[in-house]
Amino acid sequence: MSKIAYRVAGVSLVAALAGLAGSASAQLLPHKDLSLAMATTIAQTAIDTCKAQGYSVSVHVLGREGQVVLGVRNDGAGLATFENSMKKAYTARTFARSSGEFAEGVKGNPNAGALFLTNIVPTQGALPIKVGNETIGAVGVSGAPGGEKDEACAKAGIDKVSAELK
Amino acid sequence: MSRTAFRIAGISLAAAFACGIAGSANAQLVTHKDISTAMAMTMAETAIATCKTNGYAVSANVLGRNGEVIVAMRGDNTGPHTLENSMKKAYTARAQRRSSGDFGDSIKDNFTAGALHLTNIVTARGALPIKIGEDTIGAIGVSGAPGGEKDEACAKAGIDKVADQLK
Repeated sequence: MSKIAYRVAGVSLVAALAGLAGSASAQLLPHKDLSLAMATTIAQTAIDTCKAQGYSVSVHVLGREGQVVLGVRNDGAGLATFENSMKKAYTARTFARSSGEFAEGVKGNPNAGALFLTNIVPTQGALPIKVGNETIGAVGVSGAPGGEKDEACAKAGIDKVSAELK
Repeated sequence: MSRTAFRIAGISLAAAFACGIAGSANAQLVTHKDISTAMAMTMAETAIATCKTNGYAVSANVLGRNGEVIVAMRGDNTGPHTLENSMKKAYTARAQRRSSGDFGDSIKDNFTAGALHLTNIVTARGALPIKIGEDTIGAIGVSGAPGGEKDEACAKAGIDKVADQLK
């Protein structure tokens, strides 16, 4: 091995150690999260969209950790809708897909483990809120006669802010 | 007692049954005026914006007549407990029909006050009842500012914003 080769190897080793030092003082995770203003726009749009179709619904917008950013009960919405919109949204957030897709996934399997967790419901009406492939929250809607109608309003809410989801 | 007197007594009794019982069987429904979602959103947004102007990040809850949550709003960059705390303050103000702080003051030296053992009752200042005259129709609670009186000022700003509609 020539001197130059040793030197190159040495440099590589130093670089590798520098890498280790790098992981010891690992950088913080850069997260982009929903603002209240954005959550308000999503929820208000979902409520208005369903109202225009004749349905009074409740809406929840949850953040990255499933925390409630905004919960809104619209005039005349059924009693269970507030809770249900939260649980649908939680389901969409944690599984990073629509609560309806989750429902399809566990159909015919009453022993699916996920069904035994808190706040998980196999009901359509919630969508994850994503930046690229990263799920940063979810919006859940409840109160329309049919989960697909709830989901359409949830989608309208996300569509309204889609340009800012980046 | 004369026959006439018996008859009069009998008629009175019949009248009492007819009016009283029949009356209560067809009692009128109770008429309520309640907080709309639009009004609740305005109150919560105003409370959060007011505290933000004052330099405080807060969360707010607006509850209706029966303590039900109409709007729960988590402000940007608030502590994780603030959403729960603003709800409990509001519930206390609704149930007690006065500010949560006044309730807290009233039981300050009484650790065994019965109300303290109910769910969602807290002694912290920062929530106000929403009233139409003497009728409490809900409450707004705020949490996150450094001091309950600062939370309460933002709650008041929220109510003031819709004061002309509270009638």
